[in-house]
Amino acid sequence: MKPHRQKRLGIILFIAMGLALAVGLTLFALRQNINMFYTPTQVAEGEVTTGVNFRIGGMVKEGSVEEAQDSLQVSFVTTDYVSDVPISYVGILPDLFREGQGIVAEGQIDAAGVFQASKVLAKHDENYMSPEVKAALDAAGASTENHPMSGLPES
Amino acid sequence: MNWTWFHKLGSPKSFYAITTRWLPWLVGAMTIFLVVGVVWALLYIPPDYQQSYTTRILVVHVAVAGTSLAFFPIMAVAGTITLVWRMKLADMVAKNAAPLGAWFSFVTLATGSLWGSVMWGTWWEWTDARLVSMLFQFFLLLSVVALRSAIEDNDKAARACALLSIVGCINVVIIKYSVEWWNVLHQPNSPVGMSNSGANGPEFWLPTLVMIVAVYLFLAVSLILATRNEILQRERKAQWVQDLVASS
Repeated sequence: MKPHRQKRLGIILFIAMGLALAVGLTLFALRQNINMFYTPTQVAEGEVTTGVNFRIGGMVKEGSVEEAQDSLQVSFVTTDYVSDVPISYVGILPDLFREGQGIVAEGQIDAAGVFQASKVLAKHDENYMSPEVKAALDAAGASTENHPMSGLPES
Repeated sequence: MNWTWFHKLGSPKSFYAITTRWLPWLVGAMTIFLVVGVVWALLYIPPDYQQSYTTRILVVHVAVAGTSLAFFPIMAVAGTITLVWRMKLADMVAKNAAPLGAWFSFVTLATGSLWGSVMWGTWWEWTDARLVSMLFQFFLLLSVVALRSAIEDNDKAARACALLSIVGCINVVIIKYSVEWWNVLHQPNSPVGMSNSGANGPEFWLPTLVMIVAVYLFLAVSLILATRNEILQRERKAQWVQDLVASS
C-alpha cells in the first residue's frame, strides 16, 4: 500500500475507534436511564422513590390475578422470583396477559406500596413453539415456562 | 497477492459487464427464494402456542431487520475504499445503498409496530432501546441521503458521506446488542433449535432462513441495478457507454 493511502486508512481507523470508545463510555454511564424498566428487586431495595412515574418489569405471579366483577379493575403481583411488587390497574389488558407471563407496567408506587399502573404491556420471550410441541414438553415435565426476564444484566 | 480482480471489479466498465452476466442468475435465485419463502411463511408455519398466527410477521420482520443492519457496514466499506483509494465505483454503490437502507429500516419499523400493537399492546415505546436505535438508523440513513444532496461537489459529498457511514456502524452494534445490554420490551434474539420437538425448531427457522436469503438477494439485485444506472449516468460521455446506447 502506498504511504499516503496508509496514512489515510490510519486516520479513518483512529476516528472510528475514538468515536466508538466515546459512544461506548456514554452508553455505559447512561445505562440506568436506557433501561426500560426497574425489576421488582430494584424496587424492593428502594432504588425508586415514591410519587415518581417509572416502569416496572417482571412476571405475573401464578395465582395472583384478581379481576373485579363490576369494573375493569384488576390487581396482580409482579415478581422476578426474588422480590414481589403488587400492581393495581384499571383498563384493558393486552391479549397476551396471563399468569406466568412477562409484563412491563408504567405508573407509580403509592403510600401503601402498591404500584398504581396507568399502562400494562405484555412482554413475550424469544421461544416460539407450536401448540403440539408445547403440550408434549409440558407432558414430559420439561420446563417450558415463559422466562422473558432471563438473561437480563445483573442489576 | 494478485489484486487484478479487485481493480477490474473497481472499474465501472468491467463492473457493468460482469453484472450483466450475473444479474439473470441473481434475479432467478431471488424469485425462487422469495416465492418459496412467502408461500411457506404465510401458509405453512405452525401457530405459536401463545402468539398463534401472529408469529408469521416474524419471518418478514426478522429477515428485513437483519438485512437492514448490513447497510451501514456496506456503506462503510465502500466509504473507506472511497477515502483511501478514491475508487469511483465504491461511491456509486454507497450512494445508492443509503436510500435503499432507509426503506429497509422503514419496513422493519412498520412490521415491528404491527406485531407490537397486537402482542405487546403498543405500537411504539420511546423507552425501548431496540426500537429507538432502529429509528435512529432510519434517520441516520436519511441524513446520509440529505448530506449527499446538500453538497454540490461530487467528490466532497462522497467523502463526507463516507465518514458519516463509518460513524453509523457504531449504531449497528447498538441495535444488535440493545436487547442484551439493557432491559427492554423487545424480545431477545431467538436461539436456533435443532430438534422438531423443542422451542424454535426448524419449522420456524427454516422458512425464516429462506426469507433472509431472499431479502439479501433482493438487496444485491436492487443495489446492482441502481449502481448500473449510476454508472451509465456518470460515465455517459465515455465511449463504451455511447457504444452501448447506440447498439441497444
